[in-house]
Amino acid sequence: MTSRRKIQLAAYGLFILSLFVVPYFMDDFGLNRASKYLVYGMLGLSIALTWGYAGVLNLGQGLFFGLGAYMMAMSLKLMSPTSLQQGSDKPIPDFMFWNAEPNAPIELCCISPGSYLWIPFQSLWFGVVMGIVAPVVVAGLLGAIVFKKRISGVFVSIITLALVLLVRLIVIDAQPVTNGFNGLTDLGFLTIFGYEFDPYSRQMYYLVAVSLSLVLIAGRLLADTRSSLILQAIRDDQQRARHLGFNVPMYQTFFFVVSAAIAGYAGMLFVLVSEFASPTFMDLSFSVTMVVWAAVGGRSSLLGACIGAILINFTEARVSETETLVEAWKAIIGLIFVLVVLFLPRGLGGLAHDFVDWLTRSDRTNAKTHDASSANLKREVKQDA
Amino acid sequence: MTEVIFIGLSLSSILLLIALGLAITYGAMGVINMAHGDMVMIGAYVTVMSGIWLNLNFFAAIPIAFVVTALIGLVIERLVVRRLYGRLLDTLLATWGISILLQQSIRLEFGLSFFGYNIEGLGPGLQNVSVPAMLQGTINLAGTELNAYRVFIIVVTAILTLATWAILYRTSFGVQVRAIISNPQMAAACGIDVKRVNALTFAFGSGLAGVAGVMMSGFKTVFPDMGSTLVVDGFLVVVTGGVGSIFGTVLSAGLLGEINALVALFSNDIIARAVVFAVVIAVIVLRPNGLFSFKGR
Repeated sequence: MTSRRKIQLAAYGLFILSLFVVPYFMDDFGLNRASKYLVYGMLGLSIALTWGYAGVLNLGQGLFFGLGAYMMAMSLKLMSPTSLQQGSDKPIPDFMFWNAEPNAPIELCCISPGSYLWIPFQSLWFGVVMGIVAPVVVAGLLGAIVFKKRISGVFVSIITLALVLLVRLIVIDAQPVTNGFNGLTDLGFLTIFGYEFDPYSRQMYYLVAVSLSLVLIAGRLLADTRSSLILQAIRDDQQRARHLGFNVPMYQTFFFVVSAAIAGYAGMLFVLVSEFASPTFMDLSFSVTMVVWAAVGGRSSLLGACIGAILINFTEARVSETETLVEAWKAIIGLIFVLVVLFLPRGLGGLAHDFVDWLTRSDRTNAKTHDASSANLKREVKQDA
Repeated sequence: MTEVIFIGLSLSSILLLIALGLAITYGAMGVINMAHGDMVMIGAYVTVMSGIWLNLNFFAAIPIAFVVTALIGLVIERLVVRRLYGRLLDTLLATWGISILLQQSIRLEFGLSFFGYNIEGLGPGLQNVSVPAMLQGTINLAGTELNAYRVFIIVVTAILTLATWAILYRTSFGVQVRAIISNPQMAAACGIDVKRVNALTFAFGSGLAGVAGVMMSGFKTVFPDMGSTLVVDGFLVVVTGGVGSIFGTVLSAGLLGEINALVALFSNDIIARAVVFAVVIAVIVLRPNGLFSFKGR
C-alpha cells in the first residue's frame, strides 16, 4: 500500500469517525439539521460518481432524489394518524378526502382518479423498496437509450435536465394523486419492527450517518474496481475504449444507475428527516445546486464532493441565522462557484490531492496510476490547450 | 383555428426572442450561457427603471436595454467566459454562478440595501410596466381579433431575426464570426482578432437578450428570478433546432411554440409544457445534432 493510499483511507476513516462524534456536541434540533446535511452529502457523492468518473454531468439528479422521496412519502403518508381518521377502516390521504367528489367511496381504489396507484403503498416495505427500484428502473432505461445512442457530454446533461422538468410538471399536474404543488406533508414516522424513528432523535441521526458511511465505503470500493478504471478510460476517450472491445454503454449505464440509486436512497432519508416531499425537489435550481456542492468539494473526489455539500450547507445555515445575510449568502455562493470553476476546477478535493502529492513526493511515481483526479486534470488541461 | 395558430406564433416569437441570443452565444461560440435569462431580466428592469427615473416610454427602453445588457455581456466575457472556451460544461457552471450574482445584485439593490439605501424599482418585489396605449387592445386581421401587443412582439422578433441574419451573412463582421465558428485557429491564422470578435459576439447575444427583456416586461411581471425558466426554454429551442444554425433556431421555435399552443388547447398549460419537454428529449435522443442542422461543428 502506497503512503498516499494510506492517507486516503485515513481521510475516509477520519470523516466517518467524526460523523459519529458529532452527536455528543448537539441537541436534537441540531442533529435533525445535521442529518439533512449528511443527506446532501450523499447527493454530492452521487453527482461526483457520474461526473468525476464517467464524465457525465447529470443536471437532473433531482429526478432520482424526488422519485425516492415520493415513494417513501407515499407509504409514510398512509401511516400518518390523519390518514387513518377519514371515516373508513382503510387509510386515505387527507388531501384526497378533502378533494373527493361528494359521494365518492372512501376507498383508495376509487376515491379520486388515479388514487388506486396508492394501494400497494399501504405496505411500508413497498415504499421503501420502490424508493430504490423506481430511480434504478428510470435511470436504467434512460441510460440504456442515451448511452446506446452514443449521446455524450452536454447532450446527456440537457436530456436529464429536460426530463427532471418534465416529471416535475407531471407531478404538479397529477394533483389528485400527488397533491400537486403542495406535495405530501403530515407524514407518519418510519416504524421498523415496531421501532419508531422520530425525525428529531439521535436514532434518526445514526440511521443517516450509518447510511452515509456505508454509501461512502461502497462508493470508494466501487471506484477502486476494474470497472471504474474502464469507466475512466471511456470518459477520457470513448472511441478508443470502444475499439478496445469494451461494452461502453453497459459501463456508463451501470454507474449511472448506481448514482441514481444513491440519489433515490438520499431522497428517502430526506423524507424521513424533513417529513415532507414536494415538487421543489425536482426544481432545476436544486439539481444544479447539487452540482455546485460537488464542484466546490471536488467533482472527481467522492469524499470531497460529500464534504463540499456538508460544508456549504453548514455554512449557509450559520450565515442564515442573521436575517439580512440570507440573500447576501446566495450572492456569495454564486461568486464562490464562479471562482471555483475558473481557478480551482478540481475543487477542495483537488487541493487535498495536491497536498497529499506534496507530502508523498518520494513515491509519487507508483501512486499516480490510482489517481482518478490527476488524470482528469490532465485531460482538462489538454482540452484547454 | 386561426386563433390557436396565432397564439402558437406568439409563443414561438417569445421563444425565438430568447433563443436568438443563445443561438449566437451557444451555437456560434460554444458557450452555454445560463446567465442569458438574467440578461432578459435586466432588460426588463431597464424598462422599469427608465420609466421611473428617466420618464422614458417603452420604446425608448429598447435601445437602452440593448446597450446596457451588451455592456454587461462584454464584462462577463472579459472576466469569465474568455477563460473557459472549449470547456463547454464549465461555461454552463460558471455562468450559473453569474446568473445567481446578477439576480442577487438586483434583489439587494447592488448591496445598497445593507446600508439602508433603497433604489425605487429594484429590490425583491414585483414590478410592472405599462404598455403604450397604441399597443393595447386588439387588431382586426382577416376577421380575427388579435392582441395588439402580441402582434408587436411578433414584428419585433421578425426584425431582430432579420437583423441578426443580415449581420452574420451580409457584413464583414459576420464573415469573421462565421470563420471563427467553423475553425477558430484557422480564422486566427488569417488575421482575424478572435478574442475581439468573440467578445463582440457575446455582447451582441447579450444585447438581444436585453431587448427580449423589454418585450417580456410588457406582458409579464418583472422580478429578479424571472430569467431562470426562460433560459431553459431558450436553450432547449436552440438545441432542438440544431447548434450553429439561426435558421434551425427559427424553425424549432416555431415548432415548439405551435406544439405548446395546440396541446394547451386540448389539455392545460402544464401538460403543454411537459409535452414540449418530451418532444425536445425525443429530438435530442433521435437527432443529437438537432432537427435542422446542416453541418457539424
